[in-house]
Amino acid sequence: MISPLRAETQKMPESEISPALRLVRSALPEALRSRVSSARDLSRSLREEEEEHPPLATAVPALDRLLDGGLPRGHLVEMVGGRSSGRFSALLAALAATTSVGEAAALVDLGDGLDPGAAEALGADLARLLWVRPTTLQEAVAAAEMLLGAGFPLVAIDLGNPPVRGGRGVEAVWLRLARAARAHGAALLVGSPYRVSGTAASVVIKAERARAVWQGGESLSTRILGGVACHLSLEKHRGRHPGEKSEGLELCVAESPLPSSSRPRPEPMPKPLPATWQEPLRAAGGRR
Amino acid sequence: MSAVRIACLILPLFPLAARLRSEPELSREALAVVEGNGNAARVVAANRLARGAGLKPGQTLTQARALCPKLVARPCDDECERAAQEALLEVAEQFSPRVEDAGSGIAYLDVQGIERHFGKDGSPPELDLGRSLIAAAEAAALPARAGIASSKLAARLAAGLPESPVIVPGGEEAAFLAPLPLARLAPDADLAATLERWGVRTVGDFAKLPEARVSSRLGQRGRDLHAIARGVDPQPLIPRQPPPAFHEGMNLEWPLVSLEPFLFVGRAALERLCERMETCGFACTRLELTLRLEPDGHQTRSVSMPAPTVDVKTLLTLVRLDLEENPPGAPVAGFSFLAWPDRPREAQLSLYGPAALSPDKLATTLARLFALLGPDRVGSPRPEDGHRPERFSLVPFAPPPPPELRREPRPGRGLLAVRVLRPAVSLEVITEDKNGSTAEHLQPLEIKALVSEEEKKRLKIEGRIKVASGPWGLEEGWWTEDPTGRDYWDVELTAGGIYRIFRERQSGEWFADGVYD
Repeated sequence: MISPLRAETQKMPESEISPALRLVRSALPEALRSRVSSARDLSRSLREEEEEHPPLATAVPALDRLLDGGLPRGHLVEMVGGRSSGRFSALLAALAATTSVGEAAALVDLGDGLDPGAAEALGADLARLLWVRPTTLQEAVAAAEMLLGAGFPLVAIDLGNPPVRGGRGVEAVWLRLARAARAHGAALLVGSPYRVSGTAASVVIKAERARAVWQGGESLSTRILGGVACHLSLEKHRGRHPGEKSEGLELCVAESPLPSSSRPRPEPMPKPLPATWQEPLRAAGGRR
Repeated sequence: MSAVRIACLILPLFPLAARLRSEPELSREALAVVEGNGNAARVVAANRLARGAGLKPGQTLTQARALCPKLVARPCDDECERAAQEALLEVAEQFSPRVEDAGSGIAYLDVQGIERHFGKDGSPPELDLGRSLIAAAEAAALPARAGIASSKLAARLAAGLPESPVIVPGGEEAAFLAPLPLARLAPDADLAATLERWGVRTVGDFAKLPEARVSSRLGQRGRDLHAIARGVDPQPLIPRQPPPAFHEGMNLEWPLVSLEPFLFVGRAALERLCERMETCGFACTRLELTLRLEPDGHQTRSVSMPAPTVDVKTLLTLVRLDLEENPPGAPVAGFSFLAWPDRPREAQLSLYGPAALSPDKLATTLARLFALLGPDRVGSPRPEDGHRPERFSLVPFAPPPPPELRREPRPGRGLLAVRVLRPAVSLEVITEDKNGSTAEHLQPLEIKALVSEEEKKRLKIEGRIKVASGPWGLEEGWWTEDPTGRDYWDVELTAGGIYRIFRERQSGEWFADGVYD
């Protein structure tokens, strides 16, 4: 495997280099030898790189568990979810977690759906949040590339409701964004109604089987929206098989932007809800 | 050594130097700067190639073209000269805080005590200072000469000599001036004629005349000139107040009617402008562009920056967008940029806290985002005071410095957010009326978005309602002429999707303003 990343194997003791690799290297010109490494060495160097740059925690336990600690820096993570799947809430939660530690974050909001009050309720420090409202996918991608270049540690792109304005974009565009994220060590989170980034995404999470959770009496008119529940599964992740890992995610309507005097607060969820994310599906053996 | 030491920076052939600064590509051509129009145009200054062909100041343009057929003639340009003069003064201000603007390519600076910082390589300190002044001017595309003396006049005459820099030691001004022709002191014509009749040819000859007799015969003007000839310059250095803004511009040889050629010349002017601001430690916070239109009239437009920047590409993009949006409507015969400076943002880096964004990079990125999307689509969001959920405001993004120590992320609250639909989607709602006229007696059963077919496919707000929860009343501004009264429902469609819909109490119209997502 020719790796442009590192030449770690050059530093390895000769005894640890496999005979096959030694043979391949001996057949190559001097300039190329240092760039040939085994898959094991490449994996090790990537692991070391990740250790140097700890992931950005999203403060969404289900998501953090799926991502082994949070959004990996220098990678593109795509979160795919349909209408009312909780995708937008998860994206805002990641932004809130980043800004709450004192780092700046940017939201490229192609759907123009941000409610600043809701973001604040989720815990976002709005002074550290840059909101960019493009009108086309082309503008969104250009803006995201500028923001990655400016050094934002987290850039989130929300593509809104389907169909995305401007289509999926060509794969080269997403590869370019992933490369920019890698170059600047930034986490790039793309929320999309369907897969758009192709091979550029290091991690793809799918939110599916979304359902509303209603609370209240049997009569329809006395019911209150309690939240939504969905199933998060890992569609793509380095070193894992698709669908190998999954988590349940439940979100609740704890506060409403409407006047509290005019709207009753929802009753607790059927199962007692602490003020954290719930994983009922996982508890019920929801692994696929 | 005298207490006062004054340096003079002078730009020989100032109109030509100013023009070459704006159009450096003309330095390879035979160039003459002319004053006047048509047959009355006369050569004011010419470069070496043109002078080699026999051009002299005062010749008509026709004569000049006869001598040099390939002559490139440019009119005197006040804008170029003003910008060049400002650039010269800024070069001087790099060395001394006390700088006098003497106009027409001349700047004086008080260099008393400054020479101590020069001459480290063993050369005389003032000579090294003079060389540094010339080098700094050349870096700003200004071919200046320098002279240092104890009076302004001696410094100016020293700077006018070809072997630049010329240093006149303190107290030796009279000896320096003595061999120079009297015309160097630029006496009035009648005074010069009188002295010519007397046989006085040099400054030294004039200085030898008795002061009282000169005064009685030539009056006050003669006495002042005699003092100057003796090396006594009564004029003090008058420091200038730096202008609040930076200026660059030029008059165009012929009017421009399309954008691209204008941006080509505008880019060069902006590059010079940004370089000057950067030299002074400033960045542009607002850029004003004044266009001189053909046949007459001016147009001024202003572009505000989200954060101070000196990025030429960004400034040019903002100018381009502004011109594309509001074309001048007439050919452009000249332009001038006026940049309002501000201190660039600074940031203190932390050893232990999260990394702060680079202020320079952030300012440039914000300006580029402004240029790409417009100022109303980039900023830091803020909720507005009030109950209507669609309201928000944007403020300039200026994040506070990160904390000194890294904090742990706040635990997530697990809240469901609403994706706002902007603008609210008009709906047709089939309701069940439960024997009443108030909202409590309405039960939405089916909804359909009243939008175009294309939008309908995108929004997909259509179908039977599985569960509806409401109404939740919202009332705002009931004391005003335009009150808001709404009844909200949360509805889940059988086809999927949970929406927030409302009915306007006054009109009875229905809208969807958000999706729970």
